[in-house]
Amino acid sequence: MEKDLARIALFAALIAILGLIPAITLGFGVPITAQSLGVMLAGAVLGSRQGGLAVLLFVFAAALGLPLLAGGRGGLGVFASPTVGFVVGFPVAAFVTGLVVEKLHRLPPGVNAGIGAFIGGIVVMYAFGTIGMAIVLNKSLTEAALLNSAFVLGDLLKAGLCGMLVAAIARLRPQMLPWYRAPVSHIFR
Amino acid sequence: MAISSADSPVLLEDVGYRINDMPVLAGVSVRSEAMRIGVIGRNGSGKSTLARLIAGLLEPSEGQIRIEGVDVYKDRRAAIRTVGILFQNPEHQIIFPTVGEEIGFGLRQLGASKADAVTGTQKVLAQFGKAHWQDAPIHALSQGQKHLVCMMSVLAMRPRLLVLDEPFAGLDIPTRMQLTRHLNDAGTRLLHITHDTRDLEEYDQVFWLDRGHLRASGVARQVLQDFTQEMVRIGGGDDLSLLAG
Amino acid sequence: MISLSSPVRTWAHGWRAGTKLAALCVATMLLFVIGNIGFQAAAFAFALLLYCLPGMVFLREGLGHLRVLIPFVVIVLIWHLVTGDPAGGIKTIMRMVTAVALANLVTMTTSLTALMDVVRWMSSPLRRLGVSTAPLEIVLPLLIRFVPVLTLRAGQMHQSWRARSLRRANYRIVLPMMLMALDDADRVGEALKARGGALPEQEN
Repeated sequence: MEKDLARIALFAALIAILGLIPAITLGFGVPITAQSLGVMLAGAVLGSRQGGLAVLLFVFAAALGLPLLAGGRGGLGVFASPTVGFVVGFPVAAFVTGLVVEKLHRLPPGVNAGIGAFIGGIVVMYAFGTIGMAIVLNKSLTEAALLNSAFVLGDLLKAGLCGMLVAAIARLRPQMLPWYRAPVSHIFR
Repeated sequence: MAISSADSPVLLEDVGYRINDMPVLAGVSVRSEAMRIGVIGRNGSGKSTLARLIAGLLEPSEGQIRIEGVDVYKDRRAAIRTVGILFQNPEHQIIFPTVGEEIGFGLRQLGASKADAVTGTQKVLAQFGKAHWQDAPIHALSQGQKHLVCMMSVLAMRPRLLVLDEPFAGLDIPTRMQLTRHLNDAGTRLLHITHDTRDLEEYDQVFWLDRGHLRASGVARQVLQDFTQEMVRIGGGDDLSLLAG
Repeated sequence: MISLSSPVRTWAHGWRAGTKLAALCVATMLLFVIGNIGFQAAAFAFALLLYCLPGMVFLREGLGHLRVLIPFVVIVLIWHLVTGDPAGGIKTIMRMVTAVALANLVTMTTSLTALMDVVRWMSSPLRRLGVSTAPLEIVLPLLIRFVPVLTLRAGQMHQSWRARSLRRANYRIVLPMMLMALDDADRVGEALKARGGALPEQEN
């Protein structure tokens, strides 16, 4: 119980830190911050319930005015700005990522995390993000989706990264993944 | 195996602890009335596990632990009034962003009202001559100051036994001396777990833990002398090469 | 930790947090319900006036927080110029900026503690239903405390990378950071338990 609370709080802090890392510029010049990667990882590593709660705490703290969102943003203004959908969708995205990862726990751990991150961190996240942007900018859903499409490539890469990172954890510290049943040979290091 | 609460304040009966069937501790029995109890051992001898067992954070795989007659693992409500623990790294112990909140938390856990927790916190800070620390942010404190905050937070709960899990590792001599003075002034029974013989020179009774077993116990001078001799002997060889498992 | 609070004390600091939040809800709703451009312009001017009242320092800080909206302002402007509806674009922009500005105003003039008190008050029905809200009083301070701690450690890891590599640290640093946070969480959970962390609340 105490460990669950601590994991939720520390993962929320980790997501904030990932937003502070200056945007990593990928080879072809698309700057991305690692914050949405943090959201995917929360679900994929902690599972649906804890991961969703960690991201919910993160969004809640940002709403209270802590500058935790990428670029040091926070406060209630976030919920009136065009990116509101993404922020509101964060916890749901983590929850769905976790849910998919748990359902697919029989697949290799990196593969299920990649699929989970794609469904939760991209499909669900962009659904929320597009609806939010359509409302705030007074555009149709198609128009808002067009505006958002510029970032899909970066997020696809992040979903891939999420899979690789989870595969690495499964290899190094299988006991840290609550949904993962390690093959017997892994229990003894 | 019934243990009466009239027995020793620190009582471990044939305690064992296993992780994935690998024994970390086995057959550890400790019975002590001393006010300052030391446990010495190398890295990896099971010291930290022993500290966590005595603080009731882990459940023993075998045997029983009673501190002041309390089963510290099962009866958590009584345990937090009975045993406090100081860890090596204060970053892992401090939960709140300011000194006042950190000390007040323990008092609230003991059932104090919000107002009582505030007065209690001020009283503790005043006792340590640190009344001006109330609103100080944790991240602005030095390492030694963070250690003192941990110590004040734990002592605020007035535990009857304070377990120390190498809290002085890596601190400079003046800081060590000041923290030791605060500890001695607290008047609480101490159980100090360390690999550094300097920490235990003044202690009443010392237990030597070696690869999960108690190897010796007795007055500090004799046990520490034997321990140092053995450590120097091992240091001359090359047991770093050995891989576990 | 730095929060987005105001650099100067304003009259609005004295208002009750609950009142400010309720007023913000009503104002945002009206902004999205009333499409009249005259109303939007008046609301925009009113928000600007509120930012000017506490003086230059506050105005500069407040406008700084609105900079994140610039890309969206540009996109909407271009979009509406292309589709030949500049008036509609201006209206959308004013509404967005006013809504964000008013919300930021509440954040800038309300302390974290005051907001937490509102949250506690709003969650009291939950407590009456027997749902404990005590975990929130532990996880939120923990989060606030660990952001600077993890930032510092991430910085150290970055240095240790730089000391041995000619290339800039990349995504590979995320793995050790995550393992470190999870390890820390286990230690912190232990310390929390040592002080009775998740015991059910006692009646006094």
